[in-house]
Amino acid sequence: MEKVSVIIDGRAFEAVKDQCVLEVAHENGVYIPSLCYNSEVASSGGSCRVCLVEAHQGGRMRLVTACNYPVRKGLEVKTDTPLVHRIRRGVLELLMARVPDSEVIREMAAAEGLSEVRFRLDEGEDDRFNCIACALCTNVCADVVGVYAIAMVNRGAEKKPATPYYKASDVCIGCGACAYACPTGAIAMEEEDGVRRIWGRDFNMVKCGVCGTPYIPEAQVDWIVKTTGKDRSFFDKCPDHR
Amino acid sequence: MTDETQFDRIIDRYEKTEESLLAILQDFQREFHYVPEEGIRRLSEMMEVPESKIYAMGTFYKALSLTPRGRHTVRVCTGTACHLKGAPQILETLERELKVKRNGTTTDGEFTLECVNCVGACAMAPVTLIDEEYHGQTRSSKIMDIVKKQVGS
Repeated sequence: MEKVSVIIDGRAFEAVKDQCVLEVAHENGVYIPSLCYNSEVASSGGSCRVCLVEAHQGGRMRLVTACNYPVRKGLEVKTDTPLVHRIRRGVLELLMARVPDSEVIREMAAAEGLSEVRFRLDEGEDDRFNCIACALCTNVCADVVGVYAIAMVNRGAEKKPATPYYKASDVCIGCGACAYACPTGAIAMEEEDGVRRIWGRDFNMVKCGVCGTPYIPEAQVDWIVKTTGKDRSFFDKCPDHR
Repeated sequence: MTDETQFDRIIDRYEKTEESLLAILQDFQREFHYVPEEGIRRLSEMMEVPESKIYAMGTFYKALSLTPRGRHTVRVCTGTACHLKGAPQILETLERELKVKRNGTTTDGEFTLECVNCVGACAMAPVTLIDEEYHGQTRSSKIMDIVKKQVGS
């Protein structure tokens, strides 16, 4: 792995070539806010625009998304300039208008000194669905879980994650990775009496043989057994009692 | 009405690669005047591409419709120039005569009526498109004659 030196906010750091700016910054204690990026999901990032920073390279400056901008020799990044804050405020203001109920975004906006939003949703638009259409959930479902139960449907302002025809998906395994990964907690997942409900489908949960806690959907066990060849009896007990 | 062999006949014309998907969906659209749910399911099976991916494509492209459309599409341009030259009256006449609301399909499945925002022929305003044919300087009093003449009913 080739190492390069990169300057972030005036300090020089060692980094692996082509590692993204956001990761280098976070590893070295420089905070850059982000929503749609997850280091475990290769295809994630680049859509929420919250992590925009100044990238100075070869005598030129560009605003780039830190989550997918590769570190190269001679790169200098500035995360704390008036321009960065101004642009970030604009991005957060639009996100806040899109999902007024999202705590996460409200807090991020507050950190930028933003509390009022100048924009309103059109009448009839759903203001309770906290989705910012970043596609992290569908990327997780496709690239990490590998089941492709959901995809981003429609375009423009109507874009959102959904199962085909908004019907209960027969390929979904109920793992909840989409709900877990969602930066704004927009995906509803409920559990009651050993049944998990997500994307309009009910999943029976396997109970731990020791403590009796329902902890994994049967469909997910089936999927893991099928794809990894793991022994089914492994799932008789929850991780706490194995 | 539509069975698997009809889908298979279209799908078989193409190579089994993801690049063929859009072309096949377009053929479905041409053949059935929409992309049927069973068609997407069959395509997903045959090409081994997740159904969610194909459904997403179906919702993304304007040229594809997931609900049945008429055999003929009448598009009324409601761009600025056409609007000023009387497109609203043409649209109203069509809605009244064809007994269909804008962006709807007649109950007999004959016509789909749509509004479009500028077709790039403002000099011909107001413009009405019937299927692939452009009609310029249309008037509400003449529009039904033009429709009847072209579709031959």
